[in-house]
Amino acid sequence: MQASFLRISWIARVTFLEAVRQRFFAFLLILGAAMALSSVSFRVLDFGHGELKFIADFGFGGMFLFGSVLAVVMTAQLFFSEMDNRTALTLLAKPLGRGEFLLGKFAGAWAVLAVFVGVLSALLGVVLWGREQELLLLAEQSGKVPPTFSASGLAQFALLQWLRLGVVASIVLAISSLARTFLYAVVVGALAVVAGQLQWIAQDAILKPTESPAYEALLWCTSRVLPNLQQFNIGDALVLGATGVPADAVGAVVLAGAAYMAAYVFLGALLFGRREI
Amino acid sequence: MTSAISVRHLTKDFRVGLRGLKLRAVDDVSLEIPRGQVYGLLGPNGCGKSTTLKIVLGLVSATAGEVSILGCPSATPEARRRTGFLPEAPYFHKFLTGRELVRYCARLSGVPSADVAAAVEDALGLAAMTEAADRPIGTYSKGMLQRIGFAQAVVHDPELVILDEPTAGVDPVGSAAIGRMIHAMRGKGKTIVLCSHLLGQVEQVCDRVAIMDRGRLVLEGRVEDVLSRRDRHVLTVESMTPAAREAAEAALAAHGAVVTSVTHPRRSLEDLFRELVTGSRDA
Repeated sequence: MQASFLRISWIARVTFLEAVRQRFFAFLLILGAAMALSSVSFRVLDFGHGELKFIADFGFGGMFLFGSVLAVVMTAQLFFSEMDNRTALTLLAKPLGRGEFLLGKFAGAWAVLAVFVGVLSALLGVVLWGREQELLLLAEQSGKVPPTFSASGLAQFALLQWLRLGVVASIVLAISSLARTFLYAVVVGALAVVAGQLQWIAQDAILKPTESPAYEALLWCTSRVLPNLQQFNIGDALVLGATGVPADAVGAVVLAGAAYMAAYVFLGALLFGRREI
Repeated sequence: MTSAISVRHLTKDFRVGLRGLKLRAVDDVSLEIPRGQVYGLLGPNGCGKSTTLKIVLGLVSATAGEVSILGCPSATPEARRRTGFLPEAPYFHKFLTGRELVRYCARLSGVPSADVAAAVEDALGLAAMTEAADRPIGTYSKGMLQRIGFAQAVVHDPELVILDEPTAGVDPVGSAAIGRMIHAMRGKGKTIVLCSHLLGQVEQVCDRVAIMDRGRLVLEGRVEDVLSRRDRHVLTVESMTPAAREAAEAALAAHGAVVTSVTHPRRSLEDLFRELVTGSRDA
């Protein structure tokens, strides 16, 4: 067990090193950071919402958009670089299980996503805190109630986003285990993210009566097989809400995310076990 | 004692195209590779030798037949724990240094933490890569890549080492260095399976050879046995004058022997090259 954990951690370590050296990662990190930092400049376009909400939404959007692109493209790239460059041939000829290899790849990719989410969340926190301090001074002068944000809520949101990106990475890895080309894995992975964002439609539809058993079965499968990625979007309530989000609700989201992640990594390991290298 | 590798009635079919047409890559191959020997697996491109090796290493599943390594079913991690593998034209993560790569492979191969440093130094020393070990792999020449590949294959002191085209694209000096590594491993009692197109090198280093063609095994045996022609003899004579030659031919003819050719012995171009460029390394 310990030996297996060590092998997985070594695969993860090298995967992480490979990923953070890529220009693609740096490019998306800079774009996301620029979006978070520049949100202050665009706050005049707040469409009537509070300034802090606008800044937070801008940051959340950057994290979601660039994080999703990173999770899909980078995970597929990390997998296919091992296949196409045939480094997998050297590694899998060692006493390393296919499941261990795939778990190591996932752990490495997820660690990179942790860095991505961590950096963007920290920057967003700094921007929110800076503007909050300015608004506090203005509120004191005008006698109004100042808007505030919750740093701990932001930390919780960052963890949920990391989990969401982990679910996306696990889906892409499962697809990659079956796919023959990088492009196929990226396209299907991106479609899966879009479908995950829209999964709530299937959840709503299944509650309504239908006369077609086939349609009902399709809805049931869609609502079970695909994770509802929208359930992770509770940033407003966590970061800006006065009462936050009940711990059991956050716990339920975490459990659902962890279950989907584990299921997709397991599925990927099964598929990869049958793949001929 | 069990064989290093035992292959029994191995068959491998690949499905190709949308209609799933069957392509037979390996066709009922049976092999017993004894322990402690250098074994050459030869054949033209596409003859099935790489597929056979991949099946032996558990990277590809067999359609039919059985393969075991040192008595263990080949697909098990236990079999691979005792096996080292250098793939053809190896590619490694360029951002790692040679030492980091060998350490990485040592950890994946189950070398205990306390022994890793010594094992890495031993492997680098055997591959003559100690001096270049701290350079990124991206800066290595082809010969150095093969040597660091050899180091990662032997870092866990395996009983069986499988080398797929270890000298492909390597100059004769580098090729000779790899030949010395193979000799060193044989000196330690290891079994080495060598897949190569360089027949001259195979002839020099291998104890036994097998030749495959179109997925089938067409010849197998000791190098001496398969190469020697028992009905022919070679005499090497110094200072032979025409008269001496005539006398020798007459003497042989008197015993019913026929001289079919008289030539001057030649050294190989590889020997000449190595003699002229000794000391140069493919740095």
